[in-house]
Amino acid sequence: MSDYRLILFVTGEAPRSQRARANLDAALERLRAHDTGCEEVDLIQSPQRALDTGIFATPALALIDARGNQQLLYGDLSDDTRVDRFLTPVAGRHP
Amino acid sequence: MSVEMGTLQKRATGIVDLDTVTHGGLPARGVTLVLGDAGAGKTVLGLQILANAVAAGEGAVYVSFEESRDGVALDAASFDWGADLMASEHLAVIDARPPPGAAVAGGFDIEGLLTMVEAQAQALGAHWVVLDGIDRLLQLQPDAHQALFEVDRLRRWCEDAGLSLLFTGKTGGQQAVGNYFEGIEYLLDTVLILSARMANNRLNRRFRIGKYRGTAHVTKELAMVMDQRGIHLGHDTTALENPAPVSSRRLSTGIPRLDDVLGGGIYAGSTVLISGLPGTSKTTLVAQFAATCAERGERVLYISFDELADRIVRNVATTGIDLGAHRDSGRLTIIARQAWRAQVEEHYIHIIGLLNEMAPDFLVIDPISALLKASSEEDAMETNERLLQLARARGITCVLTSLSETGAPEGEATLSQASTLADAWISLAYHIQSGERNRTLSVVKARGSAPSNQVREILLSEKGLELADVYQFGTEVLMGTARLQKEMEARRAAEAEAAEREQRRQELARQIEQAESRIQEANSELQRLQNQLALEDQENARADRETTARQDDIQTQRTPRASERGGHSASGSGHDGSEQ
Repeated sequence: MSDYRLILFVTGEAPRSQRARANLDAALERLRAHDTGCEEVDLIQSPQRALDTGIFATPALALIDARGNQQLLYGDLSDDTRVDRFLTPVAGRHP
Repeated sequence: MSVEMGTLQKRATGIVDLDTVTHGGLPARGVTLVLGDAGAGKTVLGLQILANAVAAGEGAVYVSFEESRDGVALDAASFDWGADLMASEHLAVIDARPPPGAAVAGGFDIEGLLTMVEAQAQALGAHWVVLDGIDRLLQLQPDAHQALFEVDRLRRWCEDAGLSLLFTGKTGGQQAVGNYFEGIEYLLDTVLILSARMANNRLNRRFRIGKYRGTAHVTKELAMVMDQRGIHLGHDTTALENPAPVSSRRLSTGIPRLDDVLGGGIYAGSTVLISGLPGTSKTTLVAQFAATCAERGERVLYISFDELADRIVRNVATTGIDLGAHRDSGRLTIIARQAWRAQVEEHYIHIIGLLNEMAPDFLVIDPISALLKASSEEDAMETNERLLQLARARGITCVLTSLSETGAPEGEATLSQASTLADAWISLAYHIQSGERNRTLSVVKARGSAPSNQVREILLSEKGLELADVYQFGTEVLMGTARLQKEMEARRAAEAEAAEREQRRQELARQIEQAESRIQEANSELQRLQNQLALEDQENARADRETTARQDDIQTQRTPRASERGGHSASGSGHDGSEQ
């Protein structure tokens, strides 16, 4: 198991949210990081989560390490270079 | 809370000045963009509106993209309403700062935010929502058009949700910073523009309604001042729209001779300017006016820019003017302000506040020249003019003093600015003569009166201030010792002349008496002569008769028969002649 976990914040079935889901899947595939735990939070269903985490723009991807430190990447994850750089800690562990 | 204005529904902000210039408030269902420099007061504007809403029993939602909850509390703590606002359970403060180091990979939107805010607003019964510093989030958008799209989303959202939304954005100068807000002004119907610029080393805040589609509003750039009560705008049209009726009532100045010079006193509700060099008794004169008003039972507000209140009271007490008693009775309030401490607009707004609070009949500004010289980005003159217009519209009698500039070539003309504001202008000066410095007073103008053009000397004593007639010596006027001396000379000359006249009169009277006695003498002489003449006539007649009788006798003796015998005709004619 990875020391990291991911949370993808979306708003329902909005096109941008759907793109983000697909882009995240593709990135994890590309980086061979499929075993990284990934949770999806729909802010429309649970607005309280936005309050708790302080994340109000969607889609947004949070990367949380074992000590609870969080890194955040806004957007639909369409920029591969930036996504790959963001996901470097979880990449290529199981070649 | 909402006001029907044509088709646009407005919601009062509870900030009186803002509701005045917007003619009722901000859109009841819609977005108001507040653009402004750092420190221009965007956050305070938002917080104050929410404080008013909370105080009125409504809910309020405040989303900060720049500050923590503690930071917001600190901002609010500077104001009277801050503590109540932050303690209220009707207020939701949401810390929406993007996490440090947040990166972007592709477009995003704020739908999650709006969902959350709407849920909060519903739970609290809030009509007002403030998104403070949302540009911090939107500028992360890789695509500027996407940011605009998000703003449009906001607009549609609050129209649907029936919320009044205020969101703020930073500007550089008058333009929105960066291209992520470019065109945002065109997208929105209501834009308020705040600015904070340095003028004469002071922060100068300005407010302007950049745009308010669908409603009348004030378009002028206004001064914006913050004090512990919050935001004030230098604008009040309410009194100007319903001015007090013009009065022809004359108010005594407390100096009878000055009242005479002014044609019976100053008009109630008029503005009087008293100008002069330092030490020409401007304050004493104005204190005399103020004391006279207070004695009549009027409320007097005395704003001093030079001196502390207690010092004024002490100083004028030496000339017998007891301001202390009037202050104790509550009819006189002296407010001392330091001109350099604030901009003209701040003084203006403070004074307006005092006028509202106290509703004085009589306003003293001593000196107004301090206000004219106080730092201001715009024309200080205009601000003064507005203040005096307002006072006039409320029927307040104003007395302003103005310090003349020493060494100015035009002398009194340098005051022409201030003097245009005044209905009457009293000029105080020194008159240096024979090694003396005497104070003089002259009335330069007095609208609605025919003032005397004569310069008069001011006499100060422990019994107050009085005017003396000046002594005219040829083309010169004499004052002080020279006047006293001249007056004494004149008195002596007059006495001498009077004595001489009296002497002459007595002489003439004596001559008349003499003439009369001569007439009397002449009359008695006349009488005597007449008597003598009459006597002599009688005497002569008697003598004549005796002579005739004797002659007859002689004749008779000489020719007695001739006359008896027939010489009738000859002797008859002879008789006729002598007897007649």
